[in-house]
Amino acid sequence: MRFIKSSLLFLFGLTALVSCKKEDPLDVENITGLGGDTWVKTPLDQWLYDTLVVPYNIATKYKWDQSELDLNKDIVPPDESKVIPVMSSVKRVWIDPYILQGGEFFFKKYCPKLFVLAGSANWNLDGSITLGTAEGGRKIVLYLLNDFKNKSMPGYTPADSAIPKQMFHVIHHEFGHILDQNIRRPVAFDEVCKGLYTADWINTNDYAARQDGFVTAYAESSPFEDFVEMISIMLIEGRSGFDDIVNSITGTSVRGTTADQAKARLRQKESLVVNYYKQAWSIDFYTLQTRVRTAIVNEIY
Amino acid sequence: MFLFISVFGFSSCTKDETRAFDQSPDTRINEALTQYGSALTGSAAGWNATIKTGTGGIYHFHFRFNESNRVFMYADINLETATTAKESSYRLKALQTPALIFDTYSYLHILADPDGSVNGGTNGQGLISDFEFAFDSLATDSILLTGRVNGTKLKLIKATQQDFDAWQNGQWADVLAFENINKIQNYFKRVNIGGVNYDLKVDPVARTIVFTWVDGSGNLHQFITAYNYNASGVVFDTPFDTGSQTINGFEIVSWDAGNFVLNVRVNGTPATIAGATQPLKVDVAAPQRWWQYAINNGGLYWISINGFHVNGIEDGFGIKTLPSYYYLIYWPAYNPGSNDLFAPVFINAAGNGLELLYGAAPNTPQFTADGRAVFTLAGNYGPYPSTGPAGLSRTQLLIPQGYYFIQTGPTNYDMVSASDAKAWVSWEF
Repeated sequence: MRFIKSSLLFLFGLTALVSCKKEDPLDVENITGLGGDTWVKTPLDQWLYDTLVVPYNIATKYKWDQSELDLNKDIVPPDESKVIPVMSSVKRVWIDPYILQGGEFFFKKYCPKLFVLAGSANWNLDGSITLGTAEGGRKIVLYLLNDFKNKSMPGYTPADSAIPKQMFHVIHHEFGHILDQNIRRPVAFDEVCKGLYTADWINTNDYAARQDGFVTAYAESSPFEDFVEMISIMLIEGRSGFDDIVNSITGTSVRGTTADQAKARLRQKESLVVNYYKQAWSIDFYTLQTRVRTAIVNEIY
Repeated sequence: MFLFISVFGFSSCTKDETRAFDQSPDTRINEALTQYGSALTGSAAGWNATIKTGTGGIYHFHFRFNESNRVFMYADINLETATTAKESSYRLKALQTPALIFDTYSYLHILADPDGSVNGGTNGQGLISDFEFAFDSLATDSILLTGRVNGTKLKLIKATQQDFDAWQNGQWADVLAFENINKIQNYFKRVNIGGVNYDLKVDPVARTIVFTWVDGSGNLHQFITAYNYNASGVVFDTPFDTGSQTINGFEIVSWDAGNFVLNVRVNGTPATIAGATQPLKVDVAAPQRWWQYAINNGGLYWISINGFHVNGIEDGFGIKTLPSYYYLIYWPAYNPGSNDLFAPVFINAAGNGLELLYGAAPNTPQFTADGRAVFTLAGNYGPYPSTGPAGLSRTQLLIPQGYYFIQTGPTNYDMVSASDAKAWVSWEF
């Protein structure tokens, strides 16, 4: 008996001791960095806030944050003097045309909400460079800001047009993905080049891809990318630029596609994109195309 | 039994009492950040900073931090960075440790820029440097930091008004006049120190100097050191002991742009660095060694990407402007027993191979007793252009004085005009 009693006492005591620790919730104090980084705002921050945050809820991250970029690459942040020129161009070439054609409500609902800017390119191991990437319909990373020049800047030469053009390509490409993910592209689109999509697109070039009826080499990677490459290239090259691409196709591809077949496929995909914009988003694609191309010509040609 | 209870009692209750630190991690990191922040902004004349990049170069900076996350800096990277203060942004952030981030492009980022054309480094990594640093230690007058990506060390020493003025008054810019040494058009850059002639070879990207001299018995010697700058001149990482004196660096006096002469002081004694037309000691066997090497190693050829350097201009004939140009070659014994081949090589139309469109066929070079190779023309393959970059390169090759050869590596030779040493081509195998 005595033994049992003391055991009970022992157990009781143990429980009491253990539970006595629970009492206080963690002392929550000023956690560093909670709510994001802060700094004293400059006129540049104010401009970004007024121009992109207030109207469209688009944030622009131009200050270095390695976590937004490849952790294993040497990349540098942009020069502050390049931020306003680049984002103004983005507004003229991408935001303004879509708002004029699709309306403000449409644009605000679907636009990606974060731009991350880098000063240098993202150098790949094979010596090539990445000029833009995007994630999940939310974030777009633009590289090479420090080399950005448009027509309004001193010392601009036509060779400088490659960098801004690539930026516009990336943005229109990614926005195309967002549209596709919200209202899926027509099933018929995937049928046009069925059987020609390949993971080996990286070993081909635009010229060879076009012989098979793809607008770029990357379009060969999947119907998903094909669709948005069509949108992006048609928008940035304009209607006559796209016609030139189609008409330039000659010869038979390695995989046996004749020039006529390739041209027909591109034309078929073109009309599917145009119909998709009309039916899904009530946007007249050709008018949008004219607006985008005109804006690009004003920027860089 | 009671003993048991009391043991348990102790072991479970002590948890509550022990805390390695008096305050929570958040409180402590906030304190550390505040402390670092006020140290950085607390120095009215700013900070002298020194960084050693992954490629070995030492660079000096001057930083002034203000309380609005702005930093103003000078740097001894080039004339512009040494003359014009640049404003950019910084912030302190708790990453794994308290960190100082230079978060928009500044002079510091030039070193880390992955574009090789910005800093002379390798594409993809630049000079291997950092702009995001973890704090290592904080003392009253100095702060030590380590780069978070490439591990470069950054050392900040509190600056005096005098240090700051040295930048503002352009003293550092004057010192960078040393970089003009490579504007001297001759291949050989010579200085006389204490009665001995030295040839200098300066690599401004890696920041190294090579001294070459001939001793009393006629033997060649070399001394190599990295260098960096201070407000009055060039400082050698390793002092150069000439035997009669120890040289810690060059004090820079002036650059004479008209005569291509750099005026310096060595241990207080004035000296001039100027061009020379001949090496201090000719490597007499070098031309033949160069020619034979290609034959002995597979009967292949020497290449040069940039072609001839002429009168101070890299690729002086613009050979790289030829469409589809790949490199310039010299092929010893191309037609064995008869002639060599000298030609630009091109990428073919399909982009998957190289092709020759035309070529010059020099005779086997004449190797002179004084160590020159002289090239003469036996004929041409195809329609070799007589004008333009290819034509000019062929004319240059055939100068009657011929060339000295300087071996710069196991499979690298510089072929230097024996006429005036103002034209040369770097061959690699």
